[in-house]
Amino acid sequence: MHYLNLEDWTRRSSPVHAREARVKLAALMVFLIAVGSAGRLPWPVAIALALLLLAGLVAARLPVAGVLLRAGAVLPFGLTLAVVTALAGDLGRGASLLTKSYLSAVAVVLLTATTTLPEILRALESFRAPRLLLLVVQFLYRYLLVLAGQATRMRMAAECRGGRGRRWRFQAAAGSLAVLFGSSRRRADGIYRAMLARGFDGRWPALAPKPFRAADAWFLLIAAGAPLAIRLSPDLPHLGAAWLR
Amino acid sequence: MHIPDGFLATPVWAALDAVSIPAVGYLARRAQRDLEESRAPLLGVMGAFVFAAQMINFPVGIGTSGHLVGSALLASTLGPSAAAVVMTAILAVQAFIFQDGGILVLGANVFNMAFAGVLAGYLPFHYWSAGRWRRFAVFLGGFLSVLVAALLALAQLLASGVPMPPAILAVSAGLFLVTALLEGAITLAVFQAIERIHPGWIRKPSPAGGRVTASLALAAVMLGTLGVLFASSFPDGLENMAGRLGIAGQARNLFETPLVDYEFRFFQSEWLRKGSAGLIGLTVVYLVCAAMARGLARRKRA
Repeated sequence: MHYLNLEDWTRRSSPVHAREARVKLAALMVFLIAVGSAGRLPWPVAIALALLLLAGLVAARLPVAGVLLRAGAVLPFGLTLAVVTALAGDLGRGASLLTKSYLSAVAVVLLTATTTLPEILRALESFRAPRLLLLVVQFLYRYLLVLAGQATRMRMAAECRGGRGRRWRFQAAAGSLAVLFGSSRRRADGIYRAMLARGFDGRWPALAPKPFRAADAWFLLIAAGAPLAIRLSPDLPHLGAAWLR
Repeated sequence: MHIPDGFLATPVWAALDAVSIPAVGYLARRAQRDLEESRAPLLGVMGAFVFAAQMINFPVGIGTSGHLVGSALLASTLGPSAAAVVMTAILAVQAFIFQDGGILVLGANVFNMAFAGVLAGYLPFHYWSAGRWRRFAVFLGGFLSVLVAALLALAQLLASGVPMPPAILAVSAGLFLVTALLEGAITLAVFQAIERIHPGWIRKPSPAGGRVTASLALAAVMLGTLGVLFASSFPDGLENMAGRLGIAGQARNLFETPLVDYEFRFFQSEWLRKGSAGLIGLTVVYLVCAAMARGLARRKRA
């Protein structure tokens, strides 16, 4: 599955990987708000934000082309809407929408390629996200590959048995899903019993927790301050005037 | 339809985040209360099941195939609040790991698919599946869950000022309709197959008699969705009508609100005004919710 290279990237080591997840999450939110709150992103601002992301990718020692390709997942939706907007007569707006969504996607990949999902979830927990939801996300992520593998094997088995018309294959697919549903339920019971036997108390133990260091504070200052400064730069003269008045 | 970051206007995503974040907290608490402790692994594995279900293709014809979306099926097997939590978890994993849908607009996607979609998928099952309309109710649940979610997403894009010519709107409405019909058919087929394997895995519907409530609730969901869609495609309809009738001049605000027309007039520049108004609105809503939660918790303890 194509998220596997993301997991490989999180195992590398770099100054960005070493930062605490809460700090990275906060910086990501600032970046996303700076981009997402703009009606139309002026080109100099967009280019400066792109260079900032590029600097982040280089500092994180990530393969730049790989990350840019991964963030391309937003392009099918983005391009469609951009073309629609351009057809409606507003080419500039279409280009701006596409740029905003692509920059946001690269920023998200920069976070998820340098932070493991358990670290992100632990950070969300300290921001008071509901515990049940975070547990569900953990389990979902852990069993994603297991169940996807099972589904692929079932599909292959059904194809080997050969199709007897569309209606039959439709029913066969429904039957496969029902069997998968049943085995997932039974698997969940087994998982729960095994967890109880190992002394699970409702939360995952943190493997190698990262303490908050001075470097984290500096990182937050730079990684959250830079997009804000870039975003506000066209408005600085106005702000100064308002301040003086 | 997963909306990526960058396409929704600040008032739209900020308002939907402000609705969805406390609502997810409430639903998670409710799901935890309704279920035994063993359900956290169950909900997670069910989320993985919905992901894996995308690997199994349902032949449709002319060389194309579809797959299960799953919100109606989850609602009729796990119950609505647990299904909403599972759908939220799926959307979060899709946004963070697969870049399918944005982070800032996660509230909007959760609202469309995990709240409105699950509710529209659950209502027909809950009220009508006890009697002879059972098959139709399950089909309708699957159909509505996809249609309502897609129409809401479309409405939010329109409300954000993404221009859509009528021809494009018609084509996308047609596509949504086909996808929704397919989801209804798949949901029904899988539902019946599950029932044959183990009837206990399906939740008990409400006993017959709630037909009026059901019709009213469904009509409310549909009218709400269509209303939002129309309001956002003709956002100035009300103002336009008020202008024509000549009441615009007489209209006066009852309260002088500080965030008039979603703008905060301290700043000169357009985006700073709109953006800060959205963020201040979000903060106010958050503070009100936090205060209410604290008050409720104190009352419960007393």
